[in-house]
Amino acid sequence: MGSLDFLLAALTPVNLLLALAGVAAGTIIGALPGLTATMAVAVLVPFTFAMPPAAALIVLGAIYTGAIYGGAYAAILLNTPGTPSAIATTFDGYPMARQGNGDLALTVACLSSVVGGLVGAAFLLLLAPPMATVALRFGPVEYFWLAIFGLTLIASLGEGSTTKGLIGGGLGLLLSMVGVAEVGGDIRYVGEVKSLLGGIGIVPALIGLYCIPVLVDLVAAPGQHLDAGGRVSGFRLGEALAKMAKSKFNLVRSSVIGTVVGILPGAGGSIASLVSYSEAKRSSKSPQQFGKGAPEGVMATESANNATVGGGFIPTLVLGIPGTPPDAIILGALMVQGLRTGPTLFTEQAPVIYTFIWGLILATLLMLPVGLLIGRFAFRSIIAIPKAVLVPSVALLTVLGSFAVHNSVHEVQQMVVLGALAWGLGRLGFSVSPIVLGLILGSIAETGFVQGHLIGGARGNVLAEFFARPISIGIVAFILLGLLWPWWVARRQRSKGVSLV
Amino acid sequence: MSEPTASDTAAHQPDWPGAIGSAIAIVIGAAALYFSSEFSALGSVFPRTVAALMMALGALYIVFTLRGRTSRGPRAEGSHARRLGVMAVMIGWAFALEPLGFLPSSAAAFALLLALANHEGWTVRRFILYALAGGLMLGGLYTLFKVVLLVPLP
Repeated sequence: MGSLDFLLAALTPVNLLLALAGVAAGTIIGALPGLTATMAVAVLVPFTFAMPPAAALIVLGAIYTGAIYGGAYAAILLNTPGTPSAIATTFDGYPMARQGNGDLALTVACLSSVVGGLVGAAFLLLLAPPMATVALRFGPVEYFWLAIFGLTLIASLGEGSTTKGLIGGGLGLLLSMVGVAEVGGDIRYVGEVKSLLGGIGIVPALIGLYCIPVLVDLVAAPGQHLDAGGRVSGFRLGEALAKMAKSKFNLVRSSVIGTVVGILPGAGGSIASLVSYSEAKRSSKSPQQFGKGAPEGVMATESANNATVGGGFIPTLVLGIPGTPPDAIILGALMVQGLRTGPTLFTEQAPVIYTFIWGLILATLLMLPVGLLIGRFAFRSIIAIPKAVLVPSVALLTVLGSFAVHNSVHEVQQMVVLGALAWGLGRLGFSVSPIVLGLILGSIAETGFVQGHLIGGARGNVLAEFFARPISIGIVAFILLGLLWPWWVARRQRSKGVSLV
Repeated sequence: MSEPTASDTAAHQPDWPGAIGSAIAIVIGAAALYFSSEFSALGSVFPRTVAALMMALGALYIVFTLRGRTSRGPRAEGSHARRLGVMAVMIGWAFALEPLGFLPSSAAAFALLLALANHEGWTVRRFILYALAGGLMLGGLYTLFKVVLLVPLP
């Protein structure tokens, strides 16, 4: 069977309908704060058990890609990332919405997600087996440095000072240690609160840390939540396309970064979007616009996080190692379908796998009309709803979203307490994003750190284990670059100012 | 090396709130360090490293502030009483979910938040409209989660 045959196999009306329904369901679920891509896939996976393998995979891929994109809605319109992958989208998406360009931000996010998704899927189609072997070169120390890289990036890229960002990252790491330790099994920082034994839930934390401060500040002053700038006339598609054409290199680079980071098991969309955002800012002719409503920032993060979908499928299908949590669920669905993952999957089950990859590409393309329509509806709804109704409605979603993860009232309480903490820290000028990323990356960082420590100790040279491996040296160099870059830029601007005077 | 901030060239007013936050970070780091003595060697190596780094960074930021090399961000505007009200309602809601049940606690919290977020005067029309919107939202989401998604709400 040739490639065209697989494409034709994916193009059946049933597959197209399933892809369309999957993208729409995923987008809506991903848009609700608290309902992540993982949850979207997990909730809907039982419906696929009775389907043929290729159709089941297409619908799961469509849900996943739609949910990753859906996370951008709440990030842009409410400053609350719908999924962790959309954290960096808040940096420029929300300022754009505040300036009356929310519709443009949503269209840019949709188009960028489609481009990113297509690049990721193209890599999956053409380069899956060789690229999966790259992921195997990452050991515990490399994962540790990758997590630290993510933290330093968010500290230096987010609003405010780098030092305060790093302190926030440290606080997030400490929060990630609450509960039973993954390495060693110690019970840490639980005190008498038994409900903390399972640790702090990432989803309730994400909702509380981002959403509660927004709600608290929304009620403080009269006026609408967002200003539409007097025009809610269309998708602003032409404007978005023109901006993307200007920034095409940024789009391609961010999509490739997203695919490569997606290949690394466990790294996920949050790191991918941060690295892409950092690169977009670094190479921009007007980096000072980033964080104040630059469409290039939204392009970088949204193309990168959707590219992780295709990238994440590479180790999942070739090695049987899930690249991201939704991939782990899809891996389970593959097993239910009787498919054994591994390098031979692409030869022994070629019709199913290649039909699935083409299905994923079609689902990504379908995301364009679906995403634009839902985005327009979401934007119009958010600006039309009076603030007095919007605030309690979003609050209700935060309570439901944090409860629904594990059906636990304790997680609602965690969400509210962390929200109060975030609000207090916000008053002291500390940004939320580093805390959240510290919490998300804490277990990856600690496992890598402790394992690296043990391996280095056994070899008699801990420092060499952390600093002398080639990939580690590369990541450490990027960390230093990320930390010193803002300082260097500020210094250069100061010296320019002095010379002008 | 001065503290790199986005607003480096802005008018400088030392970031005293940030310094207070840094002092709190030092206290949290010290507490984390203290309690890590109860953990095994394997379980304590990472918390100790992070706590020590956090304390060092907190101290660094305080030094930067004392030397006038940090700048304070914009102050929050608007009603602080309403802000505190929202926080109090959210905390009360989270802790009333189990004893009161989802629907009664959520209806009460929804009404209180609606009152806090409304800056315009109350008219009969507005009252009816907002009550209807609240009822629809609460009923719709309750049905979605309880009936469609089978989430066992308390």
